[in-house]
Amino acid sequence: MSEHKGIGDSGRTLKQMLEDNKRLYEETGCYAGVTDPHVLKNDPVKAELFHSRLVSALISGRETTKKVSGSPFVREVAELCVGFYTPEGDCIAQSTGIQVHIRCMGDVIQWMIEHNYEEEVGIDDGDIFSCNDPVIAGVHAADVYDCMPIYWEGELIGWVSTVIMEMDSGAVTPGCMPVPNVERATDGLKFCAEKIGFNNKLRRDYEIKIEISLGLADLFLLDRKGAVAADIRVREEVKNVIREFGLDFFKQATRELIEEERRNQYKRIRQRTIPGRYRDVVPCEIYMADQPVAWLPGKKDMIRLVPMQMDILPSGNIVLDFEGTGEWGWHPFNATPSGLWGGISIAVVQTLSYDGRGNLGSLLPFDLKPPVDSLLNPTEVKHLATSTPWLPLVDMCSLWLGMLGSAFYLRGFREEIYNYRSGSTLQMAGYDQYGNKRPMMAGGLGHLGAGARGVCDGIDAGGWIGTLEVDLGADEVWELFVPEMEMGKQLDPYSLGYGKYRAGLSLPKITMIHGAGLCVAAGLVGCAHDRLIPNIGMFGGYPGSKRTTFLLRYENLAERMEKREPLFLHGMDHPAEFIDRFPGEVIPLSHMPAPMEVRNGDVVFSDNGSAGGLGDPIERDLALQKADLDNGLANEEISRNVYCIAANYDEKTKEWTIDEAETKKLREEKRKERLSRGVPVEEYWRKIRQRVLEKDLDPLLTEMYQSSMKLSEVFTQEFKDFWTLSEDFNF
Amino acid sequence: MEHSKEDLKDLYDGNLRWEKVKEIMSQPKDNDRFDKYIEILQERVPWSEKILLPLNEHLHVVQKDGERIVKCDCGQEFGDYRRNWKLSALIYARDDRQKLEEIYPGVKCPDPDLGEIREYYCPGCGSMLKVESVPIGYPVIFEFLPDIDSFYRDWLGRPLPDEKEYKDLSQEVIKEWATKV
Repeated sequence: MSEHKGIGDSGRTLKQMLEDNKRLYEETGCYAGVTDPHVLKNDPVKAELFHSRLVSALISGRETTKKVSGSPFVREVAELCVGFYTPEGDCIAQSTGIQVHIRCMGDVIQWMIEHNYEEEVGIDDGDIFSCNDPVIAGVHAADVYDCMPIYWEGELIGWVSTVIMEMDSGAVTPGCMPVPNVERATDGLKFCAEKIGFNNKLRRDYEIKIEISLGLADLFLLDRKGAVAADIRVREEVKNVIREFGLDFFKQATRELIEEERRNQYKRIRQRTIPGRYRDVVPCEIYMADQPVAWLPGKKDMIRLVPMQMDILPSGNIVLDFEGTGEWGWHPFNATPSGLWGGISIAVVQTLSYDGRGNLGSLLPFDLKPPVDSLLNPTEVKHLATSTPWLPLVDMCSLWLGMLGSAFYLRGFREEIYNYRSGSTLQMAGYDQYGNKRPMMAGGLGHLGAGARGVCDGIDAGGWIGTLEVDLGADEVWELFVPEMEMGKQLDPYSLGYGKYRAGLSLPKITMIHGAGLCVAAGLVGCAHDRLIPNIGMFGGYPGSKRTTFLLRYENLAERMEKREPLFLHGMDHPAEFIDRFPGEVIPLSHMPAPMEVRNGDVVFSDNGSAGGLGDPIERDLALQKADLDNGLANEEISRNVYCIAANYDEKTKEWTIDEAETKKLREEKRKERLSRGVPVEEYWRKIRQRVLEKDLDPLLTEMYQSSMKLSEVFTQEFKDFWTLSEDFNF
Repeated sequence: MEHSKEDLKDLYDGNLRWEKVKEIMSQPKDNDRFDKYIEILQERVPWSEKILLPLNEHLHVVQKDGERIVKCDCGQEFGDYRRNWKLSALIYARDDRQKLEEIYPGVKCPDPDLGEIREYYCPGCGSMLKVESVPIGYPVIFEFLPDIDSFYRDWLGRPLPDEKEYKDLSQEVIKEWATKV
């Protein structure tokens, strides 16, 4: 036994406190053994004041960071978040922002505790610890966590931690979320919960390391200072709260906040959902064969299945099981269980725990089961690059929100349905407009349309996983940071998922490279799909369209501009005519193109599909469609072909009119057409079964099924049962 | 906070003004929602079997002669609710470029070599009940198997008569098909 006197409660070490907390939870089923939460209940006004003070401190800390930081990711997009934790690393309260990281930052604190930082590294008042290593916890290396302990009269009574996404983490080109990156070493700088400062200041040798390692060292260091400013602001306000409310109240109330939220989360689940088994699947397209990587096993194209099963149990627990997920691989797209929790954290605060009281208690009813050695739980993680686990995570979370939305729908809470779409574009590295060589990642993938709600259309350009505040900031500011100009903004009527209620429209990213020196572009990946589209339509609604990225290269840009001829860059217009319409070369790119040289005057055009529609499109309300037509959000072709609505444009009134009689006829004909062309599923089953038996599938698909079968007997058996294949069948 | 049935009908039909929708979203959820929901759904179907649970815009799990089956608004029946209703539907697979481009023209079209869009229709009324986008060869997804008895017994506190085993019975359908292979 160590004789070390602990820095925690009653002279216990943090390790002892963590063990005690876990034991009490296992014994009582209540957080920290709080079976009788009473201090908050006994004085609700005091309780509300107490919680508000904590949340206000966190939001105020976040705002402070935005004033200190120089990065547009912080100042414009607000890709940051601040969390307040118990001594054991359990989240008590969180600010707004990228709440993905709230549980992950707690995981880092627990990792430090478990690795005996208290005795071997030292945890003192004013210390600053930094971590961006998903091997410990977190999602990817671009997200840096800066955390500080909070002491009161010599006792550690909590932690505060701030996360900021960095534009430069020192990775291999293009530098931030690189795809040609299959090994840990090319992932960039990693800080493994290192003590980067003390006495409330960054260490000078740490600053020097950043200055000589990163192209964007100034921004990186300003972000650290901004994070430390937030941490200190929260820390001092927590001390004020203790002065005002008393230490005993503070200790009990912070634990009760977590237990109260745990209980409320169970109540919400039992009030708003239906118990049962929900299923869906995400196929993840990973194209690495052409990537310039040194570790040759990484040069391989593959698709990996991520089947998802959500079991809502009678107890109110929710189990997310990923049985059947394909194998991990040598690429930067493997996720970790901590990253999965990150995805669930941000999804939960958008669906169930949106009253500002989200904390660890919001997550306690959940259990995740990512199969060992799968894409979601690689044991080789120590050697792997971890720059872009968003590939499976964004789509996985978007489909999970769809499943949860179904549960709300079945219970009658249709207004709670919400989901979003993933996306991708290009990022660059090279010499910027000021002559500096550095990564050049702009803020936007283009804005993505949110999924249809259960009671209305989805929000145009309004659906993104990272934060509830879908705002990419001012283009003019981004143009100062990245050598490119925003060329056009037009919502794309062909992007959306059609349905009785449609998804929101997406807004393409259209930027011209301008003022750059030698410049290389590569994929910025936030989605699992390229040649496929995700299974994101609900109850008869279609999924949004396939994502697209093009590099557009004019034949004679200077001359065209001199003559003031159109640049054809306002938007996509008709997708079947897009390539022919552009006066120059159109280079279609996958969601992860290999690095390529790009030049001034080239245009990056990314038009991501939006999320899914809900309900049969031929049941769409005519007034809704007329409004879309009048607002330029739909056209006659879509109205007639998809919605079976006959619409005519009146040149005099400049409005669309709907021909109701013709519409009725079109819709009746569509139903007849469906009954005529639809075949019994049994017939379809025989046809596809034959193809499976003959292995008449694209090699990417046979390898995909093989990979899932290799890891999962359950998946294998279900697959064989469904297609009635022999026991010895294999792809 | 409870809401009137009229407001809920308008909410579901998309006829409620946004300010009221927002109010319903933001307020604490109403505990009687499910009962009112079922009442509204029941009033809207032309048949008399008791709705136990909706499954989507047109399908419901209903009580019929001691059994629980899936039934469409139009009266079409899909069999035991523990069998994937899709197996009793009509299907239209958009599995080539021409069929896909009707919905996703030009550069928006997914690759038919890898995936397909499966449209499931009700054989009775031709309503499109689900659109499924999956890799070719992926089994038909059984999206939702409800644990109805636990729901009524443990969550609503009023157990249903004739409890059924909570079990996926879809394989019975497949086995029957296989006998004809």
